[in-house]
Amino acid sequence: MIEALLQTLLNGAASGGVYALVALGYTLIFSVLGVINFAQGALFSLGGYLTYLFLGGKIGVNGALPGWGLPVGLPFWLALLVAALGSGAVGLLVERIAFAPLRRRGAEPLLSLITSLGAGVVLVNLLQLLMGAEGYAFPQGAAGLAHLPESLLIGGARIRTIQVLLLAISALAVAGLSLWLENSRSGKAMRAVAEDATTATLLGINSVAVVRLAFLLSGMLAGLGGGLIGMSVSLAGPYFGISYGLKGLAVLVLGGLGSVPGAIVGGLVMGLAEALIPAEASGWRDALAFAILFAVLVLRPSGLLGRRQLEKV
Amino acid sequence: MLRSGGLSPTDPLAARRRGSARLATALAGALALLAYLSRSSDPAAQPVRQRGPLPLGAALALTGNANLYGQDQRMGISLAQGWLHNRPHHRAVELQLEDGASDEPSAIAAFNLLIRRGVIALIGPTLSQQAFAADPIAQRRGVPVVAASNTAKGIPQIGAFISRVSAQSSVIAPLSIDEALRREPGTRRVAVFFAQDDAYSTAETAIFQKVLAARGLTPVSIQRTQLADNDFQNPITAALQQRPQLVVISAQAVDGGNLIRQLRELGYRGQIVVGNGLNTPNIYPICQRWCDGVLIAQAYSPELNTPINRSFRSLFAEANNGRVPGQIAAQAWTAYQVLFEAIQRLQARGGFSGVTLAEARWRLLQELLSGRYNTPLGPIHFRADGEVVQGRFYVAQVRMDGTGRNGRFTLVRERELPEAKP
Repeated sequence: MIEALLQTLLNGAASGGVYALVALGYTLIFSVLGVINFAQGALFSLGGYLTYLFLGGKIGVNGALPGWGLPVGLPFWLALLVAALGSGAVGLLVERIAFAPLRRRGAEPLLSLITSLGAGVVLVNLLQLLMGAEGYAFPQGAAGLAHLPESLLIGGARIRTIQVLLLAISALAVAGLSLWLENSRSGKAMRAVAEDATTATLLGINSVAVVRLAFLLSGMLAGLGGGLIGMSVSLAGPYFGISYGLKGLAVLVLGGLGSVPGAIVGGLVMGLAEALIPAEASGWRDALAFAILFAVLVLRPSGLLGRRQLEKV
Repeated sequence: MLRSGGLSPTDPLAARRRGSARLATALAGALALLAYLSRSSDPAAQPVRQRGPLPLGAALALTGNANLYGQDQRMGISLAQGWLHNRPHHRAVELQLEDGASDEPSAIAAFNLLIRRGVIALIGPTLSQQAFAADPIAQRRGVPVVAASNTAKGIPQIGAFISRVSAQSSVIAPLSIDEALRREPGTRRVAVFFAQDDAYSTAETAIFQKVLAARGLTPVSIQRTQLADNDFQNPITAALQQRPQLVVISAQAVDGGNLIRQLRELGYRGQIVVGNGLNTPNIYPICQRWCDGVLIAQAYSPELNTPINRSFRSLFAEANNGRVPGQIAAQAWTAYQVLFEAIQRLQARGGFSGVTLAEARWRLLQELLSGRYNTPLGPIHFRADGEVVQGRFYVAQVRMDGTGRNGRFTLVRERELPEAKP
């Protein structure tokens, strides 16, 4: 009984960690701009593909350059970092193309949902053009875990070693981001802009730079998530990040829009909810997870840890 | 004022009725004209070209989840095309290839496009699920379809114009279960996994479970997954708690490959039997060294020692850096070959002379179903309902090489099924 419970907790934590990572990317942008970047799922895919290429993987027969690959593969940790930076850079590009022009014109924030969705679709299509639609798997032993057992037995519950690693990296990334937001000068600037952009600007904070930083970090988080998932499973075509993006969006809402602790708690709740679904109904996992989201929102519209927005009249 | 009986010429009601009648006549005329115009522009109503290559359509999954199969099919068809065109023939065939992607709307769109272009027959689509959506369109338009990889129950029964060269899973699936039980006769605990959102996988798992029941085995765990799933921690740990000795999987290449890998990583060491969705060398890079030992029943063996299979195998290896072909490519070759040979026989008899495309399609269907073919799959022919009759089947085991990225389906058993013998 305890073993089964522990197994459920481990299963939930393993998937919840990645959901939290994706949701944090949304949270950063939502907190500073009050909008949702729908290109986040595409950046997740991009991170997976970039990690694959930096590891020395070759483009498949359906890609634009079949058989092409970097002459030298990087060690996994470096490949993951460079890929996250690459995704962050593309995240910045998304900001310049899909968000900045609308912001300059004072357009409705809702419009950026469409422009970011468009940017995401273009990005995924470009990936498909360059890499083909086939699935890719990272080279065996790429993470340098060959000397470790394939799975670990923790209190009678079994979990894949790669997933423990995935959970640990997600936790480190989340902790690092939280510390940075709390203690660093730029993190405090981001919190100030999130609180009130106009006042923050009057106080001498460069809010445009803060917005760009949010997009860079958000893209990096998505890229990191994509690379980690690619290591754990495989890249099942350019659209694989979209489903994670949607799940991250649900987690964002579940945890509370714009709340960093909410994104973490929401991710874990979503992961646990999925893990609790009985084996016979495992095929209905997504439907049940979203039903839980619906139920939470009915009871608590601002999400688990979200603050109620007060409207000034 | 009261009217004095009858409708006067100026009666507004009568005027409205006359207007309605005129409108109805005009509409009927317009509809008749439209019907005539659409009929005259329908390629099926046009006479078949007497010269030049005959267009043959193929709708394959070149993108999406099933693209791994589609690429192999494209290769198989392209090799058959080159090989057959280099042999003496009466009429050239021009292949028109469209991406049917991996979903039903794309397959329907590809079929519609090819039919509008006036193809003589169609090959495809890649997935059984797509076939159930797209084949009825070809059936309604009277276009013969040869399914190259649809093995679900009921495909030829969609209609008279639908046939297949891919033997249905109910014939093949029991062989791999029997092989697993022959190797480990003490097997009692079986776990079943299947992709519940895939028509083929759900049909195949029903066959697997029926076979298990017939062998006195009740699954200790049945796990439903989805094609887009890639993390199987939950269903696998739930199944492993039941300590299975045999795992039977009905899924497609990417999700199934990931499932096998994670089963092994989570400590499952027993036998794994997989269905036709994983019957492609494209699973090797997904499950890598963890693919090793997987058992699968096949309708094709690269080790079949016939002249046509030797040609197919060497052409495939030449085009694919020495790779050994799988069943999907062999069946695609076969689909093209049977249509090509039927076209040649019909052309030789003057069967395309002075007939409309619709009539030519009907004649081609009759010719196709009445022929006997010597293919890389072995000798085959069709039943009157379009079902393939193939006598020889195989059980193979995946053997991965030292790199863990390449492998092969090694033949472990060959079976002749008397009931299916040509």
